[in-house]
Amino acid sequence: MFPDTDDAAIQADAYIDALLIGHRRVPVSLPETEALLTRQAGVRDTIRLLEKGLPRFHPSFLFEEWLADQLHRKAAGDHDAEAHGQVVPITVIRLPHSPAGRVPDRRLLVGGAIASGVSIAGAAMIAWRRSRN
Amino acid sequence: MLRRGKDRASVLVNFDVDRSAVEAARRDPRAFEALYRKYVAQVYSFALYELRDPHAAEDLTAQVFLRALDGLPGFREQGEAPGSSFRVWLFQICRNAVSNERRRVRRHPESPLDLALEVHSGDDVQAEALDREQLAQAWRQIDLLPTERRQALVLRFVEEMSTREIGEVLGRSEGATRVLIHRALQTVARQIGRGSDVPRH
Repeated sequence: MFPDTDDAAIQADAYIDALLIGHRRVPVSLPETEALLTRQAGVRDTIRLLEKGLPRFHPSFLFEEWLADQLHRKAAGDHDAEAHGQVVPITVIRLPHSPAGRVPDRRLLVGGAIASGVSIAGAAMIAWRRSRN
Repeated sequence: MLRRGKDRASVLVNFDVDRSAVEAARRDPRAFEALYRKYVAQVYSFALYELRDPHAAEDLTAQVFLRALDGLPGFREQGEAPGSSFRVWLFQICRNAVSNERRRVRRHPESPLDLALEVHSGDDVQAEALDREQLAQAWRQIDLLPTERRQALVLRFVEEMSTREIGEVLGRSEGATRVLIHRALQTVARQIGRGSDVPRH
């Protein structure tokens, strides 16, 4: 039979915290937290075992640099697209009074000066007025 | 206005240590590299413990960071939630990717995780051999735990996350997460013959 209460869980948690803080070379009173676990010797020993025995792994240097390069390319691509504008297809909304077929399907340059919502609204207004003429 | 004296200790601060790096990456995605370098080993380790295959862990790590870079603009709202952080968000992406990968492969990795057992930690060969044997036993039991319990142990001991952070990754309260971890530890302790805990009366 094992104690399974919030108190027991809190004590175990405090002990794990104390052990992990020790990894950061911060002084910690381990015996104090350890004393809380006198009734949970099995849990205490298991915590110690896992704390010592589960390392963190690092990927290979080659992989790390390859992925860094992939991310950099993607990030640079995104950044350039944002800075210089990029042609992206959009669906043209047919306004209620525009005769079918009068509004030509078009592409909108997103980025730079017309990236804002106000500018897009302005572009839509121009398209609508042209369709009325 | 700053409070002085005792009141100062009672002020709770939710501070994401990565906030400035996240802001920088949001302004210029090329600055994402700092976050990547900081967390690549953590994400890779979690993937490796879950998938047990270094190549699969690398693929998953790449997926996670590419998704994180894509999703960074949408992180703002989540980052402003109390107690939330970039690391928690990253591990939520990672956990979803692991779960998708497991669904795709449709099998639980069968090979025991012996990578950890290859790590030599000290000069005392005899004690080390005993620890390794017990650790191997512990791993066999951890392997049999339900997914959430297993992941909670890895996040706690390998990633050194707080119970609160783990709760956010798993979508549980801090208290529920603490009990989840405690139960996982009890199960492992019992199975490796260290279950000599004194019952409460």
